[in-house]
Amino acid sequence: CTNDLDVIPKDDDEFLSEDFYANPNSYKQALAGIYGNLSLTGTSGSGSSNLQGIDAGTSQYARTLWYLQDLAADEPIWSYENDEGGAVKEIQRNTWGPNNTILLGFFSRAMYTVALTNDFLRQSSPEALEARGHTSKVGNDIVAYRAEARLLRALAYYHLMDLFGKAAFVTENDPVGVYQGPQYNRAQLFDFIESELLDIEGDLVAPQQNEYARADKAVAWTILAKIYLNANVYIGQDKNTECITYTKKVIGGGFSLASDYGLNFLADNDFNEAGKNEIIFPLVCDGIVTQNYGATTVIINGEVGSLESNTAELGAQGWGGALRVRKQFSNKFLNGDVPLTDDRNTLITAGRTADIVDVGDRDSGFIITKFKNVTSTGEAGPDPTFVDTDFPMFRLADIYLMYAEAVVRGGAGGSMTDAVNYVNLLRNRAHSATISASSLTLPFLIDERSRELYWEGHRRQDLIRFGLYTGGNYNWAFKGGSASGIALPSHLNVYPIPANNMAANPNLTQNPGY
Amino acid sequence: KVTEATGNTALPGVGVIIKGTARGSATDFDGNYTIDNVKTGDVLVFSFVGFNSKEITVGNNTTINVALTESTETLDEIVLIGYGTTTVKDATGSVSAVTEKDFNKGNIVTPASLITGRVAGVNVTSDGAPGGGSTIRIRGGASLGASNDPLIVIDGLPISNSTVGGSTSVLASINPNDIESFSVLKDASSTAIYGSRASNGVIIITTKKGKQTFQVDVNFKTSYQTLANKIDVFSADEYRSLIADRVAAGQTGISIDQLGNANTDWQDEIYQQKLTFDQNISLSGALLENMPARLSFGNTQQPGLRKTSKFERTSVTLNLNPTFFDESLKVNLNANVSSEKNRFADGVEGSALYFDPTQPVYDETSPFGGFFEYHTAGEPNNAPRNPVASLMQRNNSGIVDRVFGNLEFDYKFNFLPELRAVLNLGYDRSTGSGSNILSDQSINGFRTAINTPFLGSASYYTSERKNTLLDAYFVYNKELGNVNVEATAGYSYQKFEGEDFNTGNTIDPDAVSDVNTHPDVVLIGFFGRTNLSFFDKYLLTLSYRRDGTSRFNKDNRWGNFPAAAIAWKINEEDFLKNSNVISTLKLRLGWGITGQQDIPASYAYLGRHVTGDAVSQYIFGNTPIIVGIPQSRFEDIKWEETTTYNAAFDFGLFNDKINGSLEVYLKESKDLLANVAVADGSNFSNAGWQNIGQFTSKGIEFSIGADVVANDNFNWNLNYNVNVNRTQIDQLAFGQDIEVGGIAGGTGSRIQLHREGFSPYSYYVYKQLYDVNGAPIEGAYADINQDGLINSSDKYIYKKPNADFTMGLQSSMNYKNFDLSFNLRASIGNYMYNNLNSERAQYNKLQEVTALANVPVSVLESNFVETSNVLISDYFIENASFLKMDNVTFGYTFNKFNKGLSSIYLWGGVQNVFTITNYSGLDPEIFGGIDNTIYPRARTFMMGANLKF
Repeated sequence: CTNDLDVIPKDDDEFLSEDFYANPNSYKQALAGIYGNLSLTGTSGSGSSNLQGIDAGTSQYARTLWYLQDLAADEPIWSYENDEGGAVKEIQRNTWGPNNTILLGFFSRAMYTVALTNDFLRQSSPEALEARGHTSKVGNDIVAYRAEARLLRALAYYHLMDLFGKAAFVTENDPVGVYQGPQYNRAQLFDFIESELLDIEGDLVAPQQNEYARADKAVAWTILAKIYLNANVYIGQDKNTECITYTKKVIGGGFSLASDYGLNFLADNDFNEAGKNEIIFPLVCDGIVTQNYGATTVIINGEVGSLESNTAELGAQGWGGALRVRKQFSNKFLNGDVPLTDDRNTLITAGRTADIVDVGDRDSGFIITKFKNVTSTGEAGPDPTFVDTDFPMFRLADIYLMYAEAVVRGGAGGSMTDAVNYVNLLRNRAHSATISASSLTLPFLIDERSRELYWEGHRRQDLIRFGLYTGGNYNWAFKGGSASGIALPSHLNVYPIPANNMAANPNLTQNPGY
Repeated sequence: KVTEATGNTALPGVGVIIKGTARGSATDFDGNYTIDNVKTGDVLVFSFVGFNSKEITVGNNTTINVALTESTETLDEIVLIGYGTTTVKDATGSVSAVTEKDFNKGNIVTPASLITGRVAGVNVTSDGAPGGGSTIRIRGGASLGASNDPLIVIDGLPISNSTVGGSTSVLASINPNDIESFSVLKDASSTAIYGSRASNGVIIITTKKGKQTFQVDVNFKTSYQTLANKIDVFSADEYRSLIADRVAAGQTGISIDQLGNANTDWQDEIYQQKLTFDQNISLSGALLENMPARLSFGNTQQPGLRKTSKFERTSVTLNLNPTFFDESLKVNLNANVSSEKNRFADGVEGSALYFDPTQPVYDETSPFGGFFEYHTAGEPNNAPRNPVASLMQRNNSGIVDRVFGNLEFDYKFNFLPELRAVLNLGYDRSTGSGSNILSDQSINGFRTAINTPFLGSASYYTSERKNTLLDAYFVYNKELGNVNVEATAGYSYQKFEGEDFNTGNTIDPDAVSDVNTHPDVVLIGFFGRTNLSFFDKYLLTLSYRRDGTSRFNKDNRWGNFPAAAIAWKINEEDFLKNSNVISTLKLRLGWGITGQQDIPASYAYLGRHVTGDAVSQYIFGNTPIIVGIPQSRFEDIKWEETTTYNAAFDFGLFNDKINGSLEVYLKESKDLLANVAVADGSNFSNAGWQNIGQFTSKGIEFSIGADVVANDNFNWNLNYNVNVNRTQIDQLAFGQDIEVGGIAGGTGSRIQLHREGFSPYSYYVYKQLYDVNGAPIEGAYADINQDGLINSSDKYIYKKPNADFTMGLQSSMNYKNFDLSFNLRASIGNYMYNNLNSERAQYNKLQEVTALANVPVSVLESNFVETSNVLISDYFIENASFLKMDNVTFGYTFNKFNKGLSSIYLWGGVQNVFTITNYSGLDPEIFGGIDNTIYPRARTFMMGANLKF
């Protein structure tokens, strides 16, 4: 009876892939799996992970993105520097090397989206559908599903291009197993992302017409606008005109600002005005059904101060002062061109110093309360740790500022009047002073982006675009390691390819300087 | 009357026959016998198993008293090997037998402790928890990523290493009193008959069988467990002055106003010192005249050192060994039923160490069940939680019922008596159930949101593990002149099943229950072996097994595992035959290939999808969607193979009064199964089970035993063994390092590394720099790669957790009716990462968010301030070599009794007597080499009685 050696899954949560797809509803579950990779780390709770060699939470998509974009720049600072064996310390002090596990976490997490998408495209190909007899049952839905899956793959490659400058290129036509994809450099990735997004544009649902949290055309346009705005960094060409084209498409898509800035960052930001009108692409978090140690859970628990009893205000138990801000950031409100009453200023300064001398001293440095796990009616989320607050990866305010910047940078197709108007829409909403056209300069915009978009995962990219990240033109606390900050060598504009990922795929070569 | 020569104890059941006749008798319970019609000049033969026979010529006396001496011919002992037996003299492989008389004595609760330190190359690391399991490593293991546990076979039934929910360990339900012997197979020539599961060695456990004579054995044992050692933190008064000093020195965030008025030793508060009890009764004798039977009943109650923890086991064992058809069919039934009750206690050592010693355990005003907790109007602060409350407010209990055993038919063919057919059916089923309930007064409970009441928590579970076995084989044994042939051939089928159910927290309205059904694991093997003996001098063993596993795909699932061994009994040669010095000298050479397939992935080769659970959904619109995720797929994974070479001399001197062996071994594992990185984007994880790399383990084992003194009144026996072992990773896929060894102190931090050319689990750390006075400079490390930057590229490999040398020494002596025995065990060259000091011995740890916290006193030596500066420093890698006395026991035997009772043995002793080490932590013996608090091993004072009827 050697046939007994052929065993199959017996658990009610595990299936042979063929059995899984025998049900036409499975395609939506698989699509939710690809989206889920932006928030979830595994299939059995916040501690589970589909990735290995790294703590589940420290490989969460938005959290590691946030570490690499914001913690690595001039805004937040993380108090527990020994996390991940000091990997957090290396990130926030810009002393990372190829062995940094947070780099491994993001790189693998983003490539996991690529793998999930490729599998979905294989399983949902017209031939596969036909073979399973599903063609008529899935109808037109599958067209949008496939386009959205490709959008998520393009998004992952966009992040990899931005952070690492290269990645292994793997598509649905490559085999599953131990296949080693060829290396794509920034220009190749740029071309792929651009052509892929243009290719799926027609298949995506019109702006604001899809279910909440599912991507529509506006998300594709936003990613395109992002790569065009940063094209000089990526491929050495200015594409501000293209940026204006696509920001205008988004703006014309029916979005509008929420009446209150804070609505974007609350536990009900999925259903309040911000969720309905301003947020273009959210990463879903839910204290009950979508539990994860991701960006918003970390941010909100991290905002709870060591001195302040502000758990009730933030709606989370908190981690005893895990996050604070660097002085260069708080100065953008305190010494900037906005009044202290600007709604976007959520700093808590009482009993604290602006300066942080010792990162481990959680009572020094100001803290903020921008993200909250309470609803617009003041109710705390249903879980004291896992927050309900969705992470707004893209929102209209960012598009306004991108438009303004592309105009200032000389892009065609927009107008200074509109640019000033968009900036003032944001400042009016924040009950701040409006500006005139003469004030709309690049130095103003880099600071205004910080005031509007801090802790939303844009900062490192912005500073690089403005030439302020490496070098010594702008030094912030703990830049390069020391409390007062030092100049950084220019090779830090991209991260090193993580050693493990590079070893597993010899086609990848290390970035210069590492 | 017949007595035992040394102890003068009556010997019941001794056979007495008149030589040359069929007439005879046997002694009764008191050793008395009568034989009628005996003539002067008749010769009486007295014989008894395990004793030298004696012949007495009858004179004029009508009463003949005889004292039998115990047989010292230990080398003729039968030892179990896979699917058969051999004798020590005829063994060709590396097999060590430990029988009941050599078992460790003392407070033995679980079986593995019976052989700790007894066998060269076998390391048993026990757990301090009541009924806790042990980690057993034979010759250091052979795998990097797959299991390194040896295969354990009980009465022919290989058991699974998967512990059922509610139990402490796989061997916990087995009563050590029912075990007769352990047979440890170490080299491939002896293990390869177990093929795919043999790479880490095999331990064959045999339970006691019924006897023809009636005997009752009663054992009582009680012991008192005490705390052997504590971790050195500041006492309340020392702590008060420390805080004052630190405030004076300018440390911010702490204040003397935060100090309390109590003097609490939190380590004393979390432990209890209690009595444990163990009783066992066994009856053996013949049922229905001719069916040897044994019935044993045992009960153990062991409260743990940690408050509330407890282990209780009740076991019943029945062995029936009838024979049929004129002894041509032998049947062995071994049936075991046991019930294990556990109450588990959380590891609160960490919070006991850092809870402020100036705060009290109890607080009348506390809303948390009268326990002191840090809170603001019932709302918890971010502060340590009272460890005593954590223990007392939780009840985590499980009950496990286990039925296991085997039924063996051994049939000798009438028409061909050299041929036997054996059928062995095995069954092992454990069912566990339990609950984990936290009081609603606990500050650690569930609640629906902040500023709402705590609701406690309550979850319930059931669990099942099942293992069924069918072995069928033929044995042919024939003497052809000077050649003795034994041949075995057979088939083996084994299936493992498992299921777990957990309700989740029933207090939480959103929690959901889930059934987790494990994939079946099926193993099928075909095996054969031949033992040839020429002139009783030259021995040859050849074996072969072909194994299939359900873990691999059709093309890769079958593995072939051959082995060969030769032995030469040099002492049988003419030039040694008459030697007065050398009584035994045997050379053994063995080679074999064994396999490994025991990885957590049950079918990594299949394309599978898993759906997420209730808390891992994604929301589209307003609708949570259960996610469906493809699983990693590695179609080509296959067996890991280990080739072992073994060379040995067995020797015996002076009529085997001194005997021992010297062995040298080399194990080379290739196609190592390990969970390692895969090129991103091509699979559904960044790592998975693949065959990567090579691994070598080599070593020397030496053991020697001697009857130092042996005379009528005084006997002293000494045994010593030593193992030198070295393991090294030869090759890893892509030459890539693998970081392992998770530690406390920063989420996801790790301290160990697999790297080519080094011992597995080597420490991977920064090199600490020191000032001119030899004091460590905080955060200053050597720039190993000299790039001017200190980051993770500057870590280096420094020491390893594995010992270079492990040794054991056992001494047993008796003078008249007194006996005294003790064990010593040493481990040399093993290093430990002191995670307790690395994580906590820093001045900034005096502040735990809103409260004060205690720290280890070693902070006074290092003067470290900030954990993140020092966590990964080699400063915390310490030499953890040790010498331990595991136990010492002494006893006295009373044996002048009237009818019924034949002897009483009273004994007392101490377990975990002392440890000599330079290691600064609690205990240098921690498996894995990372010390982040353990369940402490108690020092136990014991007394017991053994009554024989």
